[in-house]
Amino acid sequence: MNWFYFSSPSTFYRLAGALAPWFFAVAAILGAVGLYMGLLVAPTDAQQGEVYRVIFIHVPAAWMSMFLYFVMACYAGVSLTFNTRLAAMMARAVAPTGAMFTFLALWTGAFWGRPTWGTYWAWDARMVSELVLLFLYFGFMALANAFEDSRRGDRAASLLALVGLVNLPIIYFSVQWWNTLHQGSSVKFTGSSMHVTMLQSMLLMTFACWMYAIGATLVRVRCVILERERRTRWVRQL
Amino acid sequence: MTHEFYLWMSYGVFAVALAIEMAGLAIRRRSALKAIEEERDLEAQD
Repeated sequence: MNWFYFSSPSTFYRLAGALAPWFFAVAAILGAVGLYMGLLVAPTDAQQGEVYRVIFIHVPAAWMSMFLYFVMACYAGVSLTFNTRLAAMMARAVAPTGAMFTFLALWTGAFWGRPTWGTYWAWDARMVSELVLLFLYFGFMALANAFEDSRRGDRAASLLALVGLVNLPIIYFSVQWWNTLHQGSSVKFTGSSMHVTMLQSMLLMTFACWMYAIGATLVRVRCVILERERRTRWVRQL
Repeated sequence: MTHEFYLWMSYGVFAVALAIEMAGLAIRRRSALKAIEEERDLEAQD
């Protein structure tokens, strides 16, 4: 398969249009099953009671916030290195969804923290580094749109995205490096300390969020392509 | 406050955020298509 064929905005526009509904459909199915299991099947937590069920959206949102930043930075790196138009467009398309998941991770964390820790917010390393991630997303979007020439905006924003990558290990290891209010990871590559139904529900919701993020990114990149290529012949023939 | 409040505030805002993003995407697509239509009209006038 010739992958360069899909790096053309005109080809990718059609491919994204064909794929996006499938990703949304899979996200809806996984989300429905995940919510059913998380809210109705998973047992009540012995210590936190029912409020722990925030975990089924908080953890997927937090994971997606970091994963999408990594994806955005990869596209930014490819865009800077190879000067490819589509990679820059993809980086722009990922950013708003990543920012939304970061906001949701902070928001749901606050509404989990209040009943369990007694506060909505604490200047804790994990929370502050996640807040910095939200500002990095905002900075990326602001910088990308700050220039009349969109290619200059792409380059400036890509640089910021790459510099901001340093924040990802800080978020991940913050609970080990500093004394934090935030708990350590319950799920590791080596195993999990969670009840199996809780873990399954959380993973289902994570995959649902992942599929949704891909669908939303594909729809947004189609908009970016239309905006950027509106004077080209293929767009006018749509 | 009961646990329902915290769950609704979390799940409710999560659902609202997804709905806003989807609506935003639909609006952006419509305005992009409208801009293309305007370009076509301008070209036809020339």
